[in-house]
Amino acid sequence: MAAVAVAPAASWLFRLRAAGAEGHWRRLCGAGLARGFLHPAATGEDAAQRRQVAHFTFQPDPEPREYGQTQKMNLFQSITSALDNSLAKDPTAVIFGEDVAFGGVFRCTVGLRDKYGKDRVFNTPLCEQGIVGFGIGIAVTGATAIAEIQFADYIFPAFDQIVNEAAKYRYRSGDLFNCGSLTIRSPWGCVGHGALYHSQSPEAFFAHCPGIKVVIPRSPFQAKGLLLSCIEDKNPCIFFEPKILYRAAVEQVPVEPYNIPLSQAEVIQEGSDVTLVAWGTQVHVIREVASMAKEKLGVSCEIIDLRTIIPWDVDTVCKSVIKTGRLLISHEAPLTGGFASEISSTIQEECFLNLEAPISRVCGYDTPFPHIFEPFYIPDKWKCYDALRKMINY
Amino acid sequence: MAVAIGAVRVWRQSRILGQAALLLLRRPGAQGLTISHPHRQQEQQFSSLDDKPQFPGASAEFIDKLEFIQPNVISGIPIYRVMDRQGQIINPSEDPHLPKEKVLKFYKSMTLLNTMDRILYESQRQGRISFYMTNYGEEGTHVGSAAALDNTDLVFGQYREAAVGAAYAAKRANANRVVICYFGEGAASEGDAHAGFNFAATLECPIIFFCRNNGYAISTPTSEQYRGDGIAARGPGYGILSIRVDGNDVFAVYNATKEARRRAVAENQPFLIEAMTYRIGHHSTSDDSSAYRSVDEVNYWDKQDHPISRLRHYLLSRGWWDEEQEKAWRKQSRKKVMEAFEQAERKPKPNPNLLFSDVYQEMPSQLRKQQESLARHLQTYGEHYPLEHFDK
Repeated sequence: MAAVAVAPAASWLFRLRAAGAEGHWRRLCGAGLARGFLHPAATGEDAAQRRQVAHFTFQPDPEPREYGQTQKMNLFQSITSALDNSLAKDPTAVIFGEDVAFGGVFRCTVGLRDKYGKDRVFNTPLCEQGIVGFGIGIAVTGATAIAEIQFADYIFPAFDQIVNEAAKYRYRSGDLFNCGSLTIRSPWGCVGHGALYHSQSPEAFFAHCPGIKVVIPRSPFQAKGLLLSCIEDKNPCIFFEPKILYRAAVEQVPVEPYNIPLSQAEVIQEGSDVTLVAWGTQVHVIREVASMAKEKLGVSCEIIDLRTIIPWDVDTVCKSVIKTGRLLISHEAPLTGGFASEISSTIQEECFLNLEAPISRVCGYDTPFPHIFEPFYIPDKWKCYDALRKMINY
Repeated sequence: MAVAIGAVRVWRQSRILGQAALLLLRRPGAQGLTISHPHRQQEQQFSSLDDKPQFPGASAEFIDKLEFIQPNVISGIPIYRVMDRQGQIINPSEDPHLPKEKVLKFYKSMTLLNTMDRILYESQRQGRISFYMTNYGEEGTHVGSAAALDNTDLVFGQYREAAVGAAYAAKRANANRVVICYFGEGAASEGDAHAGFNFAATLECPIIFFCRNNGYAISTPTSEQYRGDGIAARGPGYGILSIRVDGNDVFAVYNATKEARRRAVAENQPFLIEAMTYRIGHHSTSDDSSAYRSVDEVNYWDKQDHPISRLRHYLLSRGWWDEEQEKAWRKQSRKKVMEAFEQAERKPKPNPNLLFSDVYQEMPSQLRKQQESLARHLQTYGEHYPLEHFDK
């Protein structure tokens, strides 16, 4: 059941709108996100017509015991917590991007400017290539740069900076220079009404770029640990945050800093018949598919959250497929050239003789991310279930 | 009636703006904004029936005449120079009065660079190196600006936005360093330049943007690169202090860079220097510029307005240099370059294993597998590869 919190954020933004400073409000409305984020869900048939039910159910992980005191946090709060920890520990760390000063359009940076100062948490002009290029420069001097790209859909103007500059800085200078202390964070993935330019999952474009790391968390606890690892990692990292989970995902998250290792996939459920691989929001979809498979087909699924897209944990996926003989990979991004193709290709090379059926990919269609057709576009549990069923009967 | 409605509209606007302004001032960090940005001052007083513009976006008066601002390309921003083309100081108060050793160092740096260019260009023609770009005609811009910097300052040969980030970090660290970023008038057309200028100004960074306007971007002349008054005219559009200098006058370049450096660090703001010069050589060893410009044009600059010649005249007129020293120095600088070149040529290239290093700080396991795969491949097929030139 997706939790919808009517956070203090809502009233703050209503006040801002009332005062006539419409900029932020307009941007959110234009993004089509205002409804989802500011209006509480109405009850009854009205709600069903006005707003679709989410295609997944967030499954919180059990409360972590090994990192000290925990607090209930949603995804954006867990991000704020990670950023807070980082700026507290590392006096060189700075956060910048569009609209981060007032707290950010998804509230990930609320309170940080007040706490750490305007020279450490600041707005930049509206220019993604500038944001990333500027971040590279900060990182080259050894300071920690945490850049925000407001939506992953807007990362493309910065593509040259990421691929040609950040990714190659260490290599081209023979390790004389590097921008390892750069982390780029960006909201990612479908959100129900994001349409073409507020729903994209561009990880595949970056998977093809040696020199950077790309990380995608499935939950608040994972997000904080992975983001802290990205920030501390000595290589430039891109951290994609599933925006649909910002409010919907709530669980207990340690208050103190902790790290979750990069390039390590997690087997979140063991099984014997099929391996299911996904990342971000889609992990919760395949979790449900696994229950459906158990209930309707008596099939035991092993579920893997890949977590790091590059460099990815080939060994964990191989080990699983050697055991189960069947692999299904699912992501929202379009099928052709999507990251499932890389996984599929590598696994068939490494585990050919173990495979009982062709590897299955359940992905978005090869179209731009649609607006009104979103419910038909996304690789929902029915499509995943159907693909799994065909694989079992192969 | 119309007047009354107009008055009410203005009054209501002012009220809303007033509330917005109050909200803005109460926002965290708003205090900081008032200090540096001149536009912010106007938020503090709102008189409801004032006929002054209230727009947050510009600090300007109203005008009731329709007039487009004419870009001034006929008599553009003037070009600052200290020496005439014969190396004589024009305005004695602008003479930097540098000591003999320093000026000789300028001269020797420029001529050594020129010598190195000749030798390396030739070596590419002989197939001894793969590619080279010469600096003919632009030696003054490099040496004059570099001489004005401190040893700890950061130099970016391109990468305009990264230069701004480095400057921001230097400012935060109270490092007392300036960042200088060099680029050509062609590179100034890239979005990077726009982003760099805008970020440097809004984020108040101690950076010098040094544009070498040498007339060509490969074959593209400036008339096809821009229609405005060069690059210096763009600076004010971003709120950046800007100057245009004679890039072939090493003292003008020096003076401008020196002052820009002092103020950039003291005031935490960017400076834009557009050094006018001429690219005497081809764009690179892959280019033959006779395809797009006349030999006469090139000869003019080589003979009549060359940074090295101008400085030599200055030195000669002071008795700090003569023909004998010139001959000896030419011989010595040639020897220096040749020795360094031959020493470099003798060194084997690094082991092919290093192809895989430094992609990341640590080598990922998949990459190590690829490294091992190449090593195995070379064991079997090594004869087809130029392994004799590489370290074992």
